[in-house]
Amino acid sequence: MLKINNLKVAVNGKEILKGLDLEVGPGELHAIMGPNGSGKSTLGYALAGRDGYDITDGSVEFEGQDLSELEPEERAAAGLFLAFQYPVEIPGVNNAYFLRAALNAQRKARGEEEVDSMTFLKTVRESIKTLKMDEGLLKRAVNEGFSGGEKKRNEIVQMAVLQPKLAILDETDSGLDIDALKLVAEGINGLRDGKRSFVVITHYQRLLDYLTPDRVHVLSDGRIVESGGKELSHRLEAEGYAFLEESAA
Amino acid sequence: MSALIDSLAIEARLPADDHVEVRRRAHKMLLKHGFPDIKTEAWKYTSLRVLEKRAFSDHLPGSNVLPELPFAATVLHFDNGLLNANDLNLPDGVTLEPQSGAQLDAVDHGDRAGAFGWLNLARFEQAWQLRIEGQLEQPLVLVISTAEDFHGDVHPRLAIELAAGAKAQIIEVHGDCGEGLVNIVQDIVLEQSANLHHLISRQSAQSAWIQRSHVKVAGDADYRFHTLDRGGRLTRHDLAVHLTASGAHAEIDGTVLVNDRQHVDFHTAIDHEVGHTNSRESFRILADGSGVGVFNGRIHIQRGADDSHSDLNTANLLLSEAARINAKPELEIYAEEVTASHGATIGQLEDQALFYLRSRGIPADQASALLKQGFAAAPFENIESGPVRDWLLGVLNNVI
Repeated sequence: MLKINNLKVAVNGKEILKGLDLEVGPGELHAIMGPNGSGKSTLGYALAGRDGYDITDGSVEFEGQDLSELEPEERAAAGLFLAFQYPVEIPGVNNAYFLRAALNAQRKARGEEEVDSMTFLKTVRESIKTLKMDEGLLKRAVNEGFSGGEKKRNEIVQMAVLQPKLAILDETDSGLDIDALKLVAEGINGLRDGKRSFVVITHYQRLLDYLTPDRVHVLSDGRIVESGGKELSHRLEAEGYAFLEESAA
Repeated sequence: MSALIDSLAIEARLPADDHVEVRRRAHKMLLKHGFPDIKTEAWKYTSLRVLEKRAFSDHLPGSNVLPELPFAATVLHFDNGLLNANDLNLPDGVTLEPQSGAQLDAVDHGDRAGAFGWLNLARFEQAWQLRIEGQLEQPLVLVISTAEDFHGDVHPRLAIELAAGAKAQIIEVHGDCGEGLVNIVQDIVLEQSANLHHLISRQSAQSAWIQRSHVKVAGDADYRFHTLDRGGRLTRHDLAVHLTASGAHAEIDGTVLVNDRQHVDFHTAIDHEVGHTNSRESFRILADGSGVGVFNGRIHIQRGADDSHSDLNTANLLLSEAARINAKPELEIYAEEVTASHGATIGQLEDQALFYLRSRGIPADQASALLKQGFAAAPFENIESGPVRDWLLGVLNNVI
C-alpha cells in the first residue's frame, strides 16, 4: 500500500525528515510515536502534499504510484486521507456542502458517478451518530466555533464519508478526553476492514489501548529508530523517550 | 473638470418643466462647486476621468427584459432608468406619486462632494414618491436596467417613505449593458417604529453608476441594508443614515466584488444624532485582476447622543497583485457612555485553508472559489433564511 524509502523532507530549507523508511501493507495499522520535533507532523504533511514540504531525496510510493508527482487533491482522489492535528476553520463554507463537494470531486476524478444528496446525507448521519456528534454541526461552517474535541471527531466523520484506502491520523488523540478518545477509536476500528490501512501518529500510548496496531515505530530526529509490536508502545509509556538517547549512545 | 460640465450639465440640457426654478438653482450650485476630483477628500480614490472621455447621447426608450426572480414580488421596472407608471399594480398600502415642488425645493446636496446630487436635481427625468403603509407581504423590487445601445445619462430620483409601524422589503436589482451614466438619488424616511429591509444587487458593465441614498430613521424604527455589488467600470454609492430619535437602529452589510479594470467605491456614514441609538456595519471587498475597491465607513456620534452603540467592521481580500483595496473606518465620537468599536483587515486567501480543502480532494480552483464564496457570503448570513437569501447567495456563487 505505502512504501517510503529513504525519505528526506526539508521545510524552509531545513531538513526535518532525514532518511525515513516505512512500509505499510493493506489492512495494516501502524503507529508512529516520537518526541516533539521528531518530524511526525512533517511526515503527514509531506504525504498529503502540502506546499513547502519539499521532498529532497528518497521516494514515496502509494499503491505503486509515485506520490510526489501528484497534487494534494489527486492524492486524495487516489485514496489518501490526512486527519489534521489542527483542523482548519473555513468560515462561510457549510460543513455538509463542503463534505459533499469533496466526495463528489474525488468521485469525479476517479470517473465515478456523483452521489445524490439523499444517499450522501444518510452516510454522513450514520457517521455523526457513531461519533455521538450533534447533527447541527453539519449546517455550521467547517470547524468554525467547534470545540477542540468536535474538530477532531469531525475529521473522523470526514474519513468515514470519504472512505480512503490509507488514512494518516496526525495526533487525532491530542486534546481529547477519555470518552471522546474512545469514540474516535471506535470510529477508526469501525473502518478497519482488512483492506484499508492506517498510519496513526501519536505522542502518547493512550489511543493505542483502544486500537490494535500491527506495528509500532519510534520516530526520532527524522528517522525511524525502532520498530516493534504493541509492546513497544508500553515500553515508551513506561520509560519515556529517554532510552532513545541511551541506544543512540 | 469642465469636460463633465460640458457633456452633462450645459444649461440647454435642463428639462423645461414645472420644476425649472428648482433645476436652475441646482444647476447653479453644481457650477459653483464643480464636479469632485481626487483632491476632494471624499473622492480621493475615485477618479471621474473615465467619464470625461465620454459623449452622452440623448435618452433612449429602453426595451430591457426583466430578470427572473425566484420569489413573488411587486416589480417596478425603471427601463433605461425610466419607470412606466401606467400599468402598475401596486399592493394595498403602497402609493406612487410624482414628488411635489415643495419637496424638491427643500433639497440640499451640500458642496462639491454632492455634485451628482445637484446634477440629478437639475436633470432628473422623473422624481417619484413611494409611500408605504402597513406591512407588505411581498418584497417591492425596483429593477433599474440599461440596454446595450444605452449611451445616455439618466437621473432617477426616488423618495421612499414608510409610515409609522410600516414594514417592507425593498430590493433593487441594478444591471447594465450600456456605456452611459445612471445617477440615482434616493431619500428614504422611516417614521416611528417602521421597519425597512433595503437590499441592492448590482452588476454593471461599462456604465457609471452613481447613487446617493439618504436615510432618516425615526424612534424605534429599524433600517437594514444589504448590498451585493458585483463590480462595474465605475460605481460610487454614498449611503448616509441618520438616527434621529431614541431607539432608532441601523445595520449595513455589504460585499463588493471587483475584477479586471472595475472600480467600486462605497462611502457610508451613520450619524447618531441622539442618544439610545444603535448601529452595526460589516463590509467586505474581494478585489481580483486590476480591480479597485474602496470602502469608507464613517460613524458619527454627536454630542449628547449618550448611551449609543456602534460596531463597524471591514474585512477584505486582495486576490491579485494588481488589485487595490482602500478600506477605512472613521469614528467620530462626541458623546458619553458610548460603546463604539471598529476593525479593518486586508488579507489574502489562507494557504492553510486552501490546503485543507485540497487534501479532501477539492481541486485548487474550486477550493479557492469555495473560500471566496464563504468570505463573500458572510455579510448575508443575517438575512432571514428563505427565497430572497437563497437568490442572493445563488447570484453571488454564480460570479465567483
